[in-house]
Amino acid sequence: MSNFGGMEELLQDFLMESTELLSDVDNKLVELEKRPEDRALLNDIFRGFHTIKGGAGFLNVTPMVHLCHRTENLFDKLRNGELKLNPEVMDVILNATGIVRDMFDTLAQGLMPGDADAKVLADLDEVLAGRTPGRTPAAPATPAPPAAAPAAPAPSTDGGPDWQALYQAIQPGSTAPATPVSADQAPTPAPEPATAAQAVEVIPAAAPVPVERPASKPMTNKGGSGGGQENTIRIDTQRLDMVLNLSGEIGLTKNRLTTLRTEILQGSHDPNTLRSLDESISQLDLLVSDLQNAVMKTRMQPIGRLFQKYPRLARDLARQLGKEVELVLSGEETELDKTMIEDLNDPLVHLVRNAVDHGIESPEERLAAGKKAQSVVQLTAEQVGDHILIEITDDGRGMHADSLRRKAIEKGLIDVETANSLDEKQCLQLIFLPGFSTKDQISSVSGRGVGMDVVRTNIQKLNGRIDINSVPGEGTRISISLPLTLAILPVLVVRACNQPFAVPLAMVREIITIDSNAIQEVSGKPTIVVRDEILPLRTLAGLLGWAPTQKPCFGVLMQSAEKSFILAIDSFVGRDDVVIKPLQNIRPKGVAGATLSGDGSVVLVLDMEDLLSASDASGSNQIVRTSEFVAN
Amino acid sequence: MSDKNIRFLVVDDFSTMRRIVRNLLKELGFTNVDEAEDGQVALHKLKTQSFDFVVSDWNMPNMTGIELLKALRADAQLKTMPFLMITAEAKRENIIEAAMAGANGYIVKPFTAATLEEKLNKIFQTLNK
Repeated sequence: MSNFGGMEELLQDFLMESTELLSDVDNKLVELEKRPEDRALLNDIFRGFHTIKGGAGFLNVTPMVHLCHRTENLFDKLRNGELKLNPEVMDVILNATGIVRDMFDTLAQGLMPGDADAKVLADLDEVLAGRTPGRTPAAPATPAPPAAAPAAPAPSTDGGPDWQALYQAIQPGSTAPATPVSADQAPTPAPEPATAAQAVEVIPAAAPVPVERPASKPMTNKGGSGGGQENTIRIDTQRLDMVLNLSGEIGLTKNRLTTLRTEILQGSHDPNTLRSLDESISQLDLLVSDLQNAVMKTRMQPIGRLFQKYPRLARDLARQLGKEVELVLSGEETELDKTMIEDLNDPLVHLVRNAVDHGIESPEERLAAGKKAQSVVQLTAEQVGDHILIEITDDGRGMHADSLRRKAIEKGLIDVETANSLDEKQCLQLIFLPGFSTKDQISSVSGRGVGMDVVRTNIQKLNGRIDINSVPGEGTRISISLPLTLAILPVLVVRACNQPFAVPLAMVREIITIDSNAIQEVSGKPTIVVRDEILPLRTLAGLLGWAPTQKPCFGVLMQSAEKSFILAIDSFVGRDDVVIKPLQNIRPKGVAGATLSGDGSVVLVLDMEDLLSASDASGSNQIVRTSEFVAN
Repeated sequence: MSDKNIRFLVVDDFSTMRRIVRNLLKELGFTNVDEAEDGQVALHKLKTQSFDFVVSDWNMPNMTGIELLKALRADAQLKTMPFLMITAEAKRENIIEAAMAGANGYIVKPFTAATLEEKLNKIFQTLNK
């Protein structure tokens, strides 16, 4: 039935819209577990499957039609009270939605999905028949009875004639549209269409897929959430209009400036012309920053798109582990750059899983500790200034600094001496070490020790920061702080060795003056105590491997997830929003790229993590001399 | 044949489906098409603008297709508006309900342009009598 053009485009639309719909259904299913009798929810879910089925029918995705049809029927029975929801039924339904999602993934790769797992279809049929699904020897029971095959090619084409006959039977040919069929007429045609109706009703349920093209290798990417990244974006037209509007205004201001240039070049330097010039430039300044904002906004998407997948994830995992967990979302409307939303998925999935698997205790443990059996994991997002703060908070067992320390030593990740020098906060950071895992047993869920370090790396790639707070017995909170967008980077421009450098503002905690008397030597390395925290002091010149040209006067307190330190510099230029241009062909250690400053000179943008590791690796710079800071 | 300029209102909550119907209508030469995402929006459009034909889904939030149909038939101005019901509800009682509410036609998803044309022509014939 490919007699409408733009099938591929249509498929993309369908996938995008249906994926959202399915996420919505997933969340409503989690809701439904709490309020199994809620008719509005049942109706919504019913409609979700119904709609997906309708779209899939047009695209000829017969396996999806079959699956959704059964699920839809199931919800029809649930909302009519013919069936009752119980955990077994719920599992069957959730399995079915999982398979629908897998089919979306397959379609997204341009392949036709194969039949749904026979077991799931059989379970659905069992539930529909009012039996408890499951332990039936599913394998042989399923592949749809071949007997039904001849009667039923794809429902699409043959539906027509039957319905026409039926329709004619009901609607007396010449009756004016406005006159409804009188009540006593209705029963008359009943016997005839009854057969037709049954015939059609049977088709979607029993028909085996009229073997779709070589059912390729569809079900292979099980569980792969999201699949490939989509490259299209849906933008609110209002936002697009804003961009259009601003670019129009910038055009007008440019015209004004062109006129002014001509006037000035012709020699008119009177105050009026100069004032106009000043005004126009100020206006351009404003318009350009508005335009930058407006363009940025077109890329912004609510983070709810991402969040809405997680209640289901938490629920499944909790059930698997025999825990009672409720995932509470808030701030779903918070907006974030689209590319960042996509890249945040894996870290967040990991953190939600961790919270449920490691953070939360079993119901028995919780009751013994005087907590409620049901635990609450909160996932929140909010915009704080020019940052987005995402937090995952659980009310579980929390983390003990000592046991983390012990674990890290046991695994040989750090030596005893280092371990003992770590304070509690630093101990928590140990979980970010590659190969660290607190679980002794490797579960299918987590505990393979390939987690938190990857999470942190991913967050750092987004110029973000990740912090942990944990109180033993009360719970853990993991905070992720992200810039609003990757396109524009707020930086602090500093000077060292008579050259400006930009450091990402995200890492800057505060700025202090360096008093050479305050420098203390701890195991041969210069440090400064800032509010009871001993921080190592590193000169920017030293990190770069350059000879210092003067005694550093200021220190920038830098904080990365791994460590805090004071970066000693000569002076400040100020803060700025820059666009990083990557350097072509060369990649000096510790340099993320370059940007132009207001006066047109080139400023190198530093990648602090890279710079630190580069300097630590090369032995020559490792020796930090306190003398660098003391008056020569 | 029918006038290709008649104005259609396609009502469905699923935008992909609206697009499908729109494409099918275009294939049949009907290009004057507007859309509404549920019965409420449709009713408002029908009351404030001029349309010649409604093609509506049954199952929608806020106001279903059948509710829209009933509202139209109860409206003095709109009671003769041609109405084609699109649905995946392949049940007899649904058809009877739609017919009794005054639907001019009933079409089951999925369908082809040919099926749609057939249904439309049937309705045009009846109307022209």
